[in-house]
This record gives sequence, structure tokens and C-alpha cells, in this order.
Amino acid sequence: MSDQHITKPRLSRRTLFASLLILVVIPITMCIGIFVLQDRKYYFISLLILLYTMIPFAMVFEKRKPQARELIVIAVLAAIAVAGRGAFFMLPQFKPVVAIVIIAGVCFGAESGFLVGAMAGFVSNFFFGQGPWTPWQMFCFGIIGFIAGILFQKGWLKKSKLSLCIYGGVSTLLIYGGIINIGSLMMFTPHITWEGLLAVYASGFWFDMVHAIATVIFLLLLSRPMIEKLERIKAKYGLIDP
Amino acid sequence: MRDSFSTYHPLINFVYFVAVITCNMVFMHPIFQVIALLSAGSYSILLKGGKAVRFQLLFMLPLLLLMATVNPLFNHAGVTILFYLDNGNPITLESILYGIAAACMYVTVILWFSCYNAVMTSDKFIYIFGKILPALSLIFSMVLRFVPRYAAQIKVISHAQKSIGRDVSQGNIVRRARNGMRILSIMMSWALENAIETADSMKSRGYGLPGRTSFSTYRFDRRDTIVFLIMLGLMAVIGAAAFMGQNSIRFFPSIRIQPMSMVSIMVYIAYGFLCVLPVVIRLVEDIKWKFIASKI
Repeated sequence: MSDQHITKPRLSRRTLFASLLILVVIPITMCIGIFVLQDRKYYFISLLILLYTMIPFAMVFEKRKPQARELIVIAVLAAIAVAGRGAFFMLPQFKPVVAIVIIAGVCFGAESGFLVGAMAGFVSNFFFGQGPWTPWQMFCFGIIGFIAGILFQKGWLKKSKLSLCIYGGVSTLLIYGGIINIGSLMMFTPHITWEGLLAVYASGFWFDMVHAIATVIFLLLLSRPMIEKLERIKAKYGLIDP
Repeated sequence: MRDSFSTYHPLINFVYFVAVITCNMVFMHPIFQVIALLSAGSYSILLKGGKAVRFQLLFMLPLLLLMATVNPLFNHAGVTILFYLDNGNPITLESILYGIAAACMYVTVILWFSCYNAVMTSDKFIYIFGKILPALSLIFSMVLRFVPRYAAQIKVISHAQKSIGRDVSQGNIVRRARNGMRILSIMMSWALENAIETADSMKSRGYGLPGRTSFSTYRFDRRDTIVFLIMLGLMAVIGAAAFMGQNSIRFFPSIRIQPMSMVSIMVYIAYGFLCVLPVVIRLVEDIKWKFIASKI
């Protein structure tokens, strides 16, 4: 932990390993699923891949025996995200979850961002109903928080409203919408075709747009006070700096 | 009436649902699909009664029909062309049948998950994963606890703010919004401070030290062993059949399935028994109860 303080902009080896897994190993597995196991069920394979992407996070996290304070901060942020999703249950897609996950990633690092997102997706479905969509939501929320953490560490994402809002809108539209729509396409086609993909994206576009606008609005309202509070807690109790 | 399958050991419940949902996603064979659809539907009716019937008729049936009709419109693979659409795309027998099978599969998965939600409560989930993933299970249980707790705390804060005229129900619309934001802000600070206190309290009570055990009310007894062995036996039969290709079906370019034989009928029976296992356990228990109750 101490050497991270000295060389702050450098990514830790753990973060590097995890991003390698997500950005390289998973796409390769997906390609194998699509090109080698042509006859098999896409949906089933993709579910397996998603679960398999989340395993390294869990293992790394368990292995380093996290402190009680660290655990509980992640739990609080995930609970706020779940409560936020519950509070806006009457407005479809208009949810603050992505905004809170991004703030978590920026303040507490990529790994915490992923855990907050995945946990929020998982637990909120205990209130709204589990289904084959759960792993997809967990993965999408988690990866948005993870990338937010990495971009912040690299210095490409600032703690300013403008920068957070741009990242929030783009990531919700492209990452969340992009992955969730592929998931729903895989459920009912045997062969992924360009027309099918286009049709799914076109039909889902407005839902994703509403979701992205909601993320931007929530980031606009929440980012400054929430980051201030989190920074204060970090300074007051000397919590880990990512 | 309490569901007796739910009273078995959490491991049995979890393995059962993983097994049936996996089988359901992998085996597209029509007989397997029908078996799974019927048993998932009847188990969810047993668990939830009239609500499940309404859910199945109002949401699942239309979804099944919709998905079955949409597939042939987008998917034109297959050799048996029935007719052509106006835009020149063919409608094939294979894509219609595939649509029906895929729709069946999807609806059955949702039905299995509705049973899963009723049987695998969060405490069982924590019990199973507490040993493998202690930290994540702890976070999970804390999040579950925090959500209702925050809802209650918001009420407390809002009452206090009301007494000084700063509640969301007071003032004009701009002030109301500002008051609401303030309440949320107070809530956030409270949640974070409270969290640190909880963490310190956990630490002072020795969280993470070796040699600590956790409380649970579950016991793996003889009844669980018997059911577990039956389940493993059935799964072995189904797995062996899958290895021999008995359970698979090829839709494109033309439909091909294994011809029916004695072996395949055995496999259907095994799969059917696996799927209706909770229903059977429930009914046997109900009959036993009636029999005992009538003697008193």
C-alpha cells in the first residue's frame, strides 16, 4: 500500500491483471464460443463467460483479506445504489445506479467500483426479482465502475462535473446499452446477424437514451456533494486511497 | 401450507436449481422442454398459488407467443420453406419450430427463477457462500440489511426536519426540492459515519481473526442425504445421455433428433423425475400430514 502512495499514477499490478483479463481474455473466450461452438447455445455460453469474468474479482478481493472498514464502505455505496433504484421504481430506466457506481469507482478505485456495481445489480434483484438478466446487469454496472476507476487513476477522468457527466452519458449508452442489448438478442436467435443486432439496438435505443440522460442528471446533482462527503470520510478516518 | 422442499438443506435447494436451469438452457430437445415447462409451471403454482396462475396467463403466455412468432420473421435459415414474405424473405418450418423451442426455454427459465426466488431466500444464499466467499457474503448481507435501515432513517431525518419547517412537504416547489436534497445529504453523511462506527465495532469484536465460527440453523440430516443421492443419480443418467447425444436436437439447416428408443425413454423419465422432485416431495409431505392429522 505504501509504494502506491509514492507512485500514484502508475496502475497497481492487480488492476493491470484484472484489466488484462477483462479486455483480452474474455473477448477471446467469446470468439471461441461463437466460432468454435457454433451449434451450441449462445445464451448459456455468454452467461458462463459473465460469471467467469466476475470470479477473478471475487478471488482477488477475498485473497487479500479486506479490512472491516473497506468492506462496509463498499456495502454502504451498494446499498445507496440499491435504494436509489428502488426509489425510482415507477420511472422505467430512470435510475441513479450508474451515477453512484461511477462516483464509487472514482473515489475508491477500480476494484471497489466493480464490486459496488456488481453487488448493487445482484442485491437489487433480490428486491425486484432474479432472472437470467441478473449476471448481465451485474457485469454492466461493475465494468462501468471499473473503467471509471482506471480512467481516473490514469488522469483521463477528472472529478469535475463536466468530465463525469460526459463519461456517465457515454458509458451508459455504449457500455450498458451495448452489452445488455446483445444479451437480449442472444436469448432468442440461433445466429447473430447484423440485421438482428441492428433491430435490437434500434428498439432499445430510447430506453438506453433515457438511462443515459438519467445518469447525466444524477451525476450533475450528486457528484459534487457525494464526492465531497466520500473524500471527507477518507481523510477523517484514513481510509485506503486507491 | 409450508413448502417442504424449502425446508431441506440450502445446498440441496441450490444444487437443484442450478441443475434444472442449466439442463433447461442446454437441452433444446422438445420433450425435455415440455417436461421442464410443465414442472416449473406446476411448482410455481404450488409455491405461490393464484398469483402464479395469473402471472403465467397474463405475462408468460403472451411472451411465449410473441417470442415464437418474432423468431421466424428475423431468422430465415432452414431448408423447408413454407412461403415467402412480401419483402422476399422466406419463412421456414425450422425457424418456426426453433422459435417455439427458444420461447419455451426462455419462459421456463423465468418460471424456474420465480421458484428459485421463493425457495432460496437470502439467508440460505449467505449460508452457502459464506464459507467460500466470506467477505463478499458479508457485504451482501450488509447491503440487504442497509436498504430497509436507510428507509427507516430517512423517515427519522424527515420528521426532525419537519419540526423546523424544512421537510419535502413544506414550502414552494423549489424549496421542497432543496429540502429533499438536504435530507438525502444528511442521510449520506449519517450512513458513512455510521458505517465506520460499525466497522470499528466489528474490529473490536475480532472480525477476521482465526478460529471464529458463524451461527446457522441448517443441518444436513438423513433426509437430505437421501434426496441428494437421488438427485446425483438422476443427474448422472441425464449427463451420460447428453454425452451420447440423446438430448440434443439440431434445428438448422434441417431438423434432426435421435430416434426414440428404450434408452431415450429412460432418460425422459429420469429428467421428468428430476424436474418434478420438489412437487413430489411437497405432495408426499402433504399426504403424510393429512394422514397423521386425521388420526388425531
